[in-house]
Amino acid sequence: MRSRLAPWLTLGVPTVFLIALFVLPLLSMLVLSVWRTENYHIVQDWNLRNYWVLATDGAYATFLLRSIAMATAVSVICTAIAWPVAYGITLYGGRYKLLLTLGFAVPFLTGEVLRVIALQGLLGPVGLVNGVLMSLGAAPLRAIMYTNVASAIGLVYLYLPIVVTVIYLSLLNFDQRLLDAAKIFGASPARAFFEIAWPLNLFGTLIGFALCFIPCLSATLAPRFLGGPNGTLYGMAMAQQFGESGTWALGAAMGVVLFVLSIAAVFVAFRTVDLRRTGFTGFGRS
Amino acid sequence: MSYISLDGVSKQYGAAWAVDRVAMAIEKTEFVSLLGPSGSGKTTLLRIIAGLEKPTNGRVLIGGEDVTDLPPHKRGVAMVFQEFLLFPHRTVRENLAFPLRMLKLPKTEMDERIDWVLGILSLRGLEGRYPNQLSGGQQQRVALGRGLVGRPKALLLDEPLANLDRELRQEMEVEIRKHQTALGIPFIYVTHNQEEALSMSDRIAVVRNGRIEDFAPRAEIYDRPKTAFIAQFVGRSNRFVGVLKREGATAAIDAGAVALATADRPGLKDGAPVAAYVKNEKIRLRTPETLHAVGANALAATVKHVILRGPYAEYVLTWAAGEMIASRPRAEVEFSAGDAVVAHWDPADVDVFPEKEAAA
Repeated sequence: MRSRLAPWLTLGVPTVFLIALFVLPLLSMLVLSVWRTENYHIVQDWNLRNYWVLATDGAYATFLLRSIAMATAVSVICTAIAWPVAYGITLYGGRYKLLLTLGFAVPFLTGEVLRVIALQGLLGPVGLVNGVLMSLGAAPLRAIMYTNVASAIGLVYLYLPIVVTVIYLSLLNFDQRLLDAAKIFGASPARAFFEIAWPLNLFGTLIGFALCFIPCLSATLAPRFLGGPNGTLYGMAMAQQFGESGTWALGAAMGVVLFVLSIAAVFVAFRTVDLRRTGFTGFGRS
Repeated sequence: MSYISLDGVSKQYGAAWAVDRVAMAIEKTEFVSLLGPSGSGKTTLLRIIAGLEKPTNGRVLIGGEDVTDLPPHKRGVAMVFQEFLLFPHRTVRENLAFPLRMLKLPKTEMDERIDWVLGILSLRGLEGRYPNQLSGGQQQRVALGRGLVGRPKALLLDEPLANLDRELRQEMEVEIRKHQTALGIPFIYVTHNQEEALSMSDRIAVVRNGRIEDFAPRAEIYDRPKTAFIAQFVGRSNRFVGVLKREGATAAIDAGAVALATADRPGLKDGAPVAAYVKNEKIRLRTPETLHAVGANALAATVKHVILRGPYAEYVLTWAAGEMIASRPRAEVEFSAGDAVVAHWDPADVDVFPEKEAAA
């Protein structure tokens, strides 16, 4: 009896959970996106105007492209920083490995708003960086005052811990002795890295990349507090539809577009990456 | 000039010396085993030869060249690991091709070499499989193939058979030795398993506490152990503790309930505490009716139980001072539990060492 109940419970509960809290809200967004809003009221009037606006109004395309560029840049930077950090922790962390990894997550103990505001205090016109520069008689760095660069710095700061943690977990499962084997068979340390360590951790790296990329696409706080007038990102614009503008239906359509894009990106990633080539068998450790 | 030389090689970890002033000379066509208990430093020694560890002191020479400061990928040696360490994201063929790609061999030669290895290790048909689709024995073959395919200057084997079951292990022992003879390169084989060392090696180096206890032809290691540790570690022996009494050209050991006669050992003083070892298979058994005189090198015992090993039987005997074991071929008279027997042995089969050394 128990053996027949256990799979239903362990797989059923998450399924119900996913349907109730993920699929249903998503469906409601989908429905809302083909209605319209007028004077802060939802009008149940089936049409595709919202999507037409998104496709024709250049601003939204600009926001979207800017967001994709931003998310790509931030994710690449995060991955580039996270790799050596996570690698260093697994190699030299010794018994402090876990502590070091958890240390990276300490900023998570505060809210996202607080972290962004704290960063604003660091990067702004009268912030720590420019304050020190000016008191030393140097010119302030304009590049970090309410610019896309400042937004990017903020996003890197926000999502780096996640990427480090994911790559660290991947490296933890990676048998470092495979690198010894590669070296014995004639690979220089760099060659051993690219032949063995990189492909075998590609799957973890991609997950880390995606966990940075997707929230960056819909980021609202960092561009709002750190970005400048040219820094409006897609997520920020989307949040405005649900806030000040009160055009919820348009916001819902923007959300649907984002969701479809994210799914497409994940799909393309999985089609181009041969999981076998990352040592991933899908069946746990063999 | 020997092919591989270790010259005063030491390795320090913290305050401990994992490898302590090791000197060895290995010839080009030799199969050498490093035999020792776990933690004796034998694997560290192998990794020093491979270049995966840098010795604290001393030099490593391969083919007359000082490679002490060369990284592993420039040494031209290959290794077979206990855990196989095949590249999980590469097929069998790609695993075998790895050393060849690093050597930048032309495609036709690569194909030839891979085909040769697939043939000698009967791996044909498995080229396209990934390591996790192979059995342990097949993985072992691929690991061995990856070691041989690049025609290394030497092949280092780190307990390669430890993860295989007994039958497969004995099969692989024969095969490994066969390939070593055919290739004519030195194999250095690390193991804690004396049977593996004895079955394959030309010479065995017994490693203990980071030092080479003895490095000698395998028969010598087995038949004439140089130290009490080797007597205890190689082969299965019965141990007697007593006091040495010198009597001209012979010596006797008064071990309480039994007296042992042995050839004299210079360097052992009269009255010195000694430990004597007699290998299980050197103990012979007679019925009390055929051997009455219980004198030197003979004692009365009772068979407690019999362990059947197929071609031979192990008799666990109880006698006045405890238990001992005798291994006898089944072709001889067989005894069963409860039988009274007389156990006896030759003076030449008694190995005597100072007791202080044996206790250490």
